[in-house]
Parts: sequence; structure tokens; C-alpha cells
Amino acid sequence: MIETQGLGKIYGRGLHALRDLNLTIEKGEFVFLTGPSGAGKSTLLRLLLLQERPSEGDVIVGGRNLARLTRNQVQAYRRTVGFVFQDFKLIPAKSVFENVSFALRVLGMPVEQQRRRTYQVLKWVGLQHRLNSLPEELSGGEQQRVAIARALVNEPHLVLADEPTGNLDPDLSLEIMNLFRDINASGTTVVVATHDRELIKWVGRRVVQLEHGQLAGLPEAAK
Amino acid sequence: MNVVGYAFEEAWASVRRAGRSAAVSIGTIAIAFLTLGGFMLVSVNVQRVLDRWLESAEVSVYLHDDLSDELRAELETYVRQQPAVAAVEYVAKDKALERFRADFPELLEVTSSVARNPFPSAFEIRLRRDATGTAAVDDLTTGLAGRDGVADVRYDRRWLTRLAGIVTTAQVAAGVVAAVLMLGAAFTVAAVVRLSLHARREELDIMQLVGAPFSYLRGPFIVEGLLLGGVGAAVALAGIALLFTGISRWLGSDLAGLMGTGQVHFLGLRDVAIMLFGGLGVGAAAGTVASRSAR
Repeated sequence: MIETQGLGKIYGRGLHALRDLNLTIEKGEFVFLTGPSGAGKSTLLRLLLLQERPSEGDVIVGGRNLARLTRNQVQAYRRTVGFVFQDFKLIPAKSVFENVSFALRVLGMPVEQQRRRTYQVLKWVGLQHRLNSLPEELSGGEQQRVAIARALVNEPHLVLADEPTGNLDPDLSLEIMNLFRDINASGTTVVVATHDRELIKWVGRRVVQLEHGQLAGLPEAAK
Repeated sequence: MNVVGYAFEEAWASVRRAGRSAAVSIGTIAIAFLTLGGFMLVSVNVQRVLDRWLESAEVSVYLHDDLSDELRAELETYVRQQPAVAAVEYVAKDKALERFRADFPELLEVTSSVARNPFPSAFEIRLRRDATGTAAVDDLTTGLAGRDGVADVRYDRRWLTRLAGIVTTAQVAAGVVAAVLMLGAAFTVAAVVRLSLHARREELDIMQLVGAPFSYLRGPFIVEGLLLGGVGAAVALAGIALLFTGISRWLGSDLAGLMGTGQVHFLGLRDVAIMLFGGLGVGAAAGTVASRSAR
């Protein structure tokens, strides 16, 4: 599903956020990216969502080399990926329903189908009673559930989450992680970046540890 | 229709949010188009007067006093055979004097004081409508000027053509002024669209992450420019219609009499369409340029 080959990301003044990263994530896997701040977790997710382009190496997702996609292809690719961020990234002026259904609207889906799918997914995350609320009227946990609903509504093959529980208390964090487990159970590949060791232990899935932009725990020659 | 509907929904919401700045933008577009429309209105009416004058332009052929009847008849036959000629009237010396006295009674003394009739006899030639200003008329006037018994050939279309040239130059100058004003208006629209874009930056970033096609990202801003331009042009048209109604009511008959056209005319359907589509076009172009950074 995901393969990085010699992946590197260099910011100004030669700062290596990622360095020669070789990583494979199989289809249907649930993987935690972890490591200290500055390890490169968020950078890897940004590269996977094509918010940035790699400085060196390749990122291959579903057989496509992301470095070679045109601007229009990038947008088409993003429509096949769900994302969830720590700060939710909801459109403040749109209702819960509109925030979620927008992801379907841009696919050109008929309105009736948009409504049905949006309602289904919002019901799945337990927010069917908040359809017309604005994001600012929701709690942090509810906002994150809206973001998850939006990420799932177009049935992506891959869901990326960057510190999705970073702004939530432990109980809500577990609730959100349960949702990710359910998503993964349906066959969707899930990649979650977090530094919450307790949560990782509780979910108990494969962990990819990053350190200084490289895989941690490997001998120097294997990095 | 999905993306078009979305673009209109968002653009309308944005115009309402923009409030005063949208009003300023509509105002500047309206001023530019009011100027353009005013020029067009004047131009339409001046052009009608010119066209009427051009259509009624005549060729006057003045004859020598000693021209024999035989030569005159020969000349008349020649004139009637010319393709550009619609009608010919022979005006004898006496008739010419009579006309002058009827047209200028205040100069009666001048004509009475002269020993003999100073007016030459002439042929007054009315041209066919489709022939005015063509090579056939030039051939006619050149041909007549070289014939025996012809003292002078006057074709009053020549000065009308010069006048039409001056009017055209004025129209071009007015067009340039209107274009400069419209450019200014386009910059104002672009500034308002940029403000909207700035206000929705966060939303746009999220839309990009969701994979919204560029038509969804830029469409609302292009439509916003289109709306501002279109409304501005419509306001200008309404202003011109009001002005026209007012002027027609107060000065209509005087102006019509002065121009000899019977009535003052409003802009034609084509001119109205030019203004409306011009406004929409200027707005859309400004929106397109301003929304480039939405990609």
C-alpha cells in the first residue's frame, strides 16, 4: 500500500526532517508512527498527503509514485485518502453535515446519495443529533469525530491521522482510537502518528519508531 | 451543475459578507460603465444625425450661364444614366433666386441691390442610399467636373465625412477613457475578491486537503467577480436610463429639434448587451486574476 524508498525531506539551512527512509506498510495494516518531537512523524504524513514534496527519494502509494503527480492528480489522489488532524481542520462557517458532505460534493455525487452517506457516517460516529451544529458549538471529542466522519465518508483506502487525540482527554482518546480500530477492521489502511505510549500499548498494533528522521532501533548500516 | 451551483452559493454568501467593500467595488464598476454608457448614448444619437445627413447628401452641379439647352439636355441624360443617381432636379437661375429669397427673407435687400441674378442654374442630384460615399459617387463627381458647361461640382458629403471622422476620433478617445476607468474598476473588484480569498484562506486549505478540484477552489471567486461586475454594469444601466428619462422629459423636444431626428434615442439592445456582458466580463477577469493564489 505504502512504500518509501530513500525518502528524504530537507528544509532550509540543510535541516533533515527525514533522511533516507525506507518503509513499507501493507494494505489493511494499522500502523502507529511514534517518536519524540522533531522525529519526522508529521513530515512523513505531510508527504503522504502531498502537502509537501519530498526532497529526495520516492513515496509510492497504491502503486503510484506521488512525486510524479501533477497538481490535478494530487487533488484526485487526496480524494482517495482520509485525513484527521490534531486541530480537527473543520470549516468554521459550515455545519457538521456540510463539513462532511462537502467531501462527497466535490466528487460530483448526486445530492440524495450525499445526504444518505453523510447521515450514515455521522450516525456511525454518534453525531446524528448534531447535524446542524457549527464546529464551535461542539466539544473537542465531537469535533474530532466530525473530522473522522469526513475522512471516512468517501470510503478511502487509506486514513492518515496526525496526533488525532492530542487535544483530547484519555477517555475521549480511547473512544477515538476505537473508531480507528473499527475503520481498520473494515479493511482500510490506517496510519496514526502519536507520541502517546499508553494509547499505543492499549491498541496494540505495529509501531514504527522514528528518530531524527530515520527508523529508530536499526543498526547504522541498515538505516 | 454541481460546481456551478456551489460557486454561485459561495460567491453570493461572500458578497453579502463583504458588505461595504463589495458596495465600493460595485460603485466603481458602475461609475466606469456609467461613463461608457453616457458616451455610447451620445454617440448613438450623434451617429443617427450623421447617418441622416449622410443619407440626404446631394451632389450639386453648377452650370455656366451660357450653357445651351441642347448641352444641358445632354448633360441631364448623362447624369440620369449614372448608377449612383436616384433622382435629378434642374434648378433654373430664377428658381434658385426664388428659393434664396424664400429661405433668407432677411437678405432680400442684398439680392434686390444686385443688377442681375447672381445664382447659377444647377442640377441637384439625389444619390441612391447604397451609393453614398462609394467609388461610383467619386466617378460621378469627377466625370461631371470635366464636362463642358459645368462650372462647379459640390458634394456636401465630403465635409460630412470629415465630421464623421472627428466623431469617430471622439468615440475612440471616449473608449480609451472608459477602458482606463474599467481597468481601475477591475483592480477594485480584484482587491475585494482577494479580501474574500484571504478571509477564507483556512477553508481553502481544508478544501485542498479534501481534494477539492480547482474548479471548486477558484470558481466561487471568479463568480464573485462576475457578480460584482454584472451588478455594477446593471446599476450603471439603471442610472443611464434614469438620466435619459430625466433629460428626455426636460429637454427632449429641444434636443430632438436641434438634431432634426424627431426624438432622442436610448441605447439599442446591442449596446445594453455590450454593457452588461462587459461588466460580467471585467468582473470575471478580475476574479480570475485575483483567485490565482487559491490553487
